[in-house]
Amino acid sequence: MREELKKYNDFLQKIRRYFNDQSVLEVQTSVLLSAPATDVYIDSLSVRLNQDINAEQTQYLHTSPELEMKKFLANGSGDIYQICEVFRDNEYGSHNFNEFAMLEYYRLDFDIHQLMDDITQLLKTLGVDSQVTKLSYAQAFFEYGDIDILNTDFDALKIIARKHDLSTDFEWIEDLQILLFTHLIEPKLEKLPLCFIFDYPAMQAALAKVEGKVAHRFELYMSGVEIANGYDELRHVDEYRAVFEEEIAKRAMLKKYTPDLNKDYLEGIQPSLPNCAGVAIGMGRLFAQID
Amino acid sequence: MANYSTSQFKNGLKLILDGNPCSIINNEIRKPGKGQASNKVKLKDLITGKTLEKTFKSGESVEGADVMELDMQYLYNDGSEWSFMDLNTFEQYMINDNAMDDVRGYLVEQDMCVVTLWNDNPISVTPPNHVMLEVVDTDPGLKGDTAGTGGKPATMNTGVVVQVPLFISIGEKVKVDTRTNEYAGRT
Repeated sequence: MREELKKYNDFLQKIRRYFNDQSVLEVQTSVLLSAPATDVYIDSLSVRLNQDINAEQTQYLHTSPELEMKKFLANGSGDIYQICEVFRDNEYGSHNFNEFAMLEYYRLDFDIHQLMDDITQLLKTLGVDSQVTKLSYAQAFFEYGDIDILNTDFDALKIIARKHDLSTDFEWIEDLQILLFTHLIEPKLEKLPLCFIFDYPAMQAALAKVEGKVAHRFELYMSGVEIANGYDELRHVDEYRAVFEEEIAKRAMLKKYTPDLNKDYLEGIQPSLPNCAGVAIGMGRLFAQID
Repeated sequence: MANYSTSQFKNGLKLILDGNPCSIINNEIRKPGKGQASNKVKLKDLITGKTLEKTFKSGESVEGADVMELDMQYLYNDGSEWSFMDLNTFEQYMINDNAMDDVRGYLVEQDMCVVTLWNDNPISVTPPNHVMLEVVDTDPGLKGDTAGTGGKPATMNTGVVVQVPLFISIGEKVKVDTRTNEYAGRT
């Protein structure tokens, strides 16, 4: 027991030392929020509070500290990081849990390539110095699936999916792209110890900046396991409002819970975030990879 | 027949895929960080016996197959059809000879078998794990070999050929494991 705890303690210490050396501040944000997440495929857990004192209300456990940290960024925090537990409903699968520890951090005036380099440095301090592979999403699909993912339309992708006995019952092309990536490309990444996939199709942008056909997003895979998800972050409050509205509309179409637009939050990031890139890293998955 | 959502998938669940009844033998869920979860499912086609793999998006639903597995007694075969009886209802089911390829060497009259019915039609038979078969042909054994360290092929009364110890001779009854086609003793 003590031995295991010591290992995790060292892991935490090394991460904190790395950020301290880089002058990235550790922060803590609220875990209990007044509004649930709007992500189409991430569900918040709700909590009923104060029932016995006649002040009943429903609040939501954060699914990621992203939005609260972005309030700090919009208000001049500079570089920040946080290590915290996050909570998600309806999670299943061998690598998914309803609660897990996340490292989330933001670097001002970084683009995703600088952030990928930064993560590589952080991993080095944790003892990971495997060879790094960097592939754009399109390159990965060309190389491992012989598919021109940025220039293949929904119908053509369905034909490819059918050929591989994959489901084609999707409302939106991005969901089929994700399925193809999960089932055709991810297994090929298992032989790569450290692989960054970057520049996702624009329709998978979420909160990342879009340029032409691609969104400046990346994911880190270690031996085929998804470890980190990073963005060149959108800046203006209007861009955030547009993404949230679209996500809420999609949730409604899928008959999932549909939160109201979180006006308090949008107020909190007025008028914009500084130019920055941010990433979320699954602590448990990373620890398992380096252990 | 009811439809099943991916959240109800589990090993042994019977579904209709490409018109055939299939049984789930493995169900793996993958959920990307920002994306929709999917189920990668391995199934056995209960008609052809082939294993296939299909991927569904989570939440998708698939038609269930009306498949039942009933204990039945094997009665006899007339060369073209094999006859089984459900001892609870005394209902008799006939199965075509060409569906019996994998199991006909293990069917002993009066033995209880599991008969798989699809829409009330028998599609396959699973014999008991062990059956007693009679040796009808084998080379004479070697004298002194009572430990049975070696082995020799022996043809059983059902036609199946099983590797048996050297001391086994024609006319003896032996126990055979139907899952592995291996000799499993004399009692």
